[in-house]
Amino acid sequence: MKLCITATGKNLSARVDPRFGRAPYFLLVDTETLSCEAVANPASATGQGAGIKAAQILTDRGVAAVLTGTVGPNAVEALQAAGIKTYEGVDPDDTAQDAINKFKQGKFSASSAVSPRGGCGQGLGFGRKDGRGGGWGRCRP
Amino acid sequence: MPAVKKLAPEIIAAFQKKSFTTPILGVTSGKGGVGKTTVAVNLACGLADLGFRVALIDADVDAPNAALLLGISQENPEPVSIGMPEVNTERCTGCGLCIEACRLNALFLPKGGTPLLLGQCNGCEACFLVCPEDAFTRKARMVGNTYCSTSCGLTLFTGELTPTAEESAGVVKALKARAFRQAEDFDLFLVDTSPGTHCNVIFALEGADLVLAITELSPLGAHDLELILSLLDIFAIPSRVVVNRAESPGTAEQIHAVAAHHHTRVQATLPLDDSLVKSYVEATPLIRMFPQNPCALVFSELARFVAKELAI
Repeated sequence: MKLCITATGKNLSARVDPRFGRAPYFLLVDTETLSCEAVANPASATGQGAGIKAAQILTDRGVAAVLTGTVGPNAVEALQAAGIKTYEGVDPDDTAQDAINKFKQGKFSASSAVSPRGGCGQGLGFGRKDGRGGGWGRCRP
Repeated sequence: MPAVKKLAPEIIAAFQKKSFTTPILGVTSGKGGVGKTTVAVNLACGLADLGFRVALIDADVDAPNAALLLGISQENPEPVSIGMPEVNTERCTGCGLCIEACRLNALFLPKGGTPLLLGQCNGCEACFLVCPEDAFTRKARMVGNTYCSTSCGLTLFTGELTPTAEESAGVVKALKARAFRQAEDFDLFLVDTSPGTHCNVIFALEGADLVLAITELSPLGAHDLELILSLLDIFAIPSRVVVNRAESPGTAEQIHAVAAHHHTRVQATLPLDDSLVKSYVEATPLIRMFPQNPCALVFSELARFVAKELAI
């Protein structure tokens, strides 16, 4: 799955950016291989409609899900229309790698506005089963 | 010093073009709260008292207050609506040109779908222009009202944005269009703008023959004077500076230097005067309430300068 993480820098050691539309970078991560492509977000400095523009960029790049802090109401509508799942609530102190680890442990659930069922149940299941993942995440600097 | 953009001569010519001969005087400022409307209403009254047929246009549609300062009510409302894009899904090919054209990023194109209007649209209609399939139709949305009242020997045109609407520029345009329909009835249009250098100010100043940039002496006043004079330079509009509250903190030298840098000068200086406050309370312009007051005399002299400069 192609997952977008909003980040302050260009690679997985960069801190996450909890803002969706205004994040300087989108890290497009293949959740299987962990290959990562950084896309500078031109919407970060736009006057208006940053969330919608950001959603457009992710739509055009075939992203399946977004992992970020919070998504504004316009962007929620856009992501919903595009069928992109939204996972909110990243810890701003985490690196992108930390966030991926937590995501893989199922610590995030898809926002109900976007996907009222699906992601939520699945995510929790993963999290409970894979205790090792959590420990690993914390051990990393 | 911010870099000044150069516009193509045809854009400047289009900006300055008018379909009538009545001159337009703009009253504007980079900084808010420096006395634009005070200058505008007193100048309008001063010019009316000289015998000219004056139309005062309060183009600060987000906070119109010229009617308050003149003590007259807003009458003869006319609704203002803007055209919102609606997509004809059968015509649309999903090419995405409208998405690129929208400066407000209000449109969103889902993969394989047709554009959705999700964000704030200001009715600029760029999407209509770029669509090769002519797939957009206009849906009217009410965003405000314009008013026209005649009192105090002048005609006042005001506009008011509907609460929760954000499309001030549409109201400014409609307000000016309404006033300009009666251009032959007036010797002069006096346009009082909102503060700043944003699009509402630009629309309000479109077609102006001369602009008075009001400022105070503070460092922020000087900084924002620099911005507004740069904007006027971009559109090649002749300007003069008016200093208000001359005894307030700051230095006149800095203001003179900014003016000189933009090849203009300080035309009038208004002293700090409590009588202005009294005139607010009475909702009567100072020039009518205390004609011999030092500030009122500055307004009268400024009125004569404007009449001479615009050859009315």
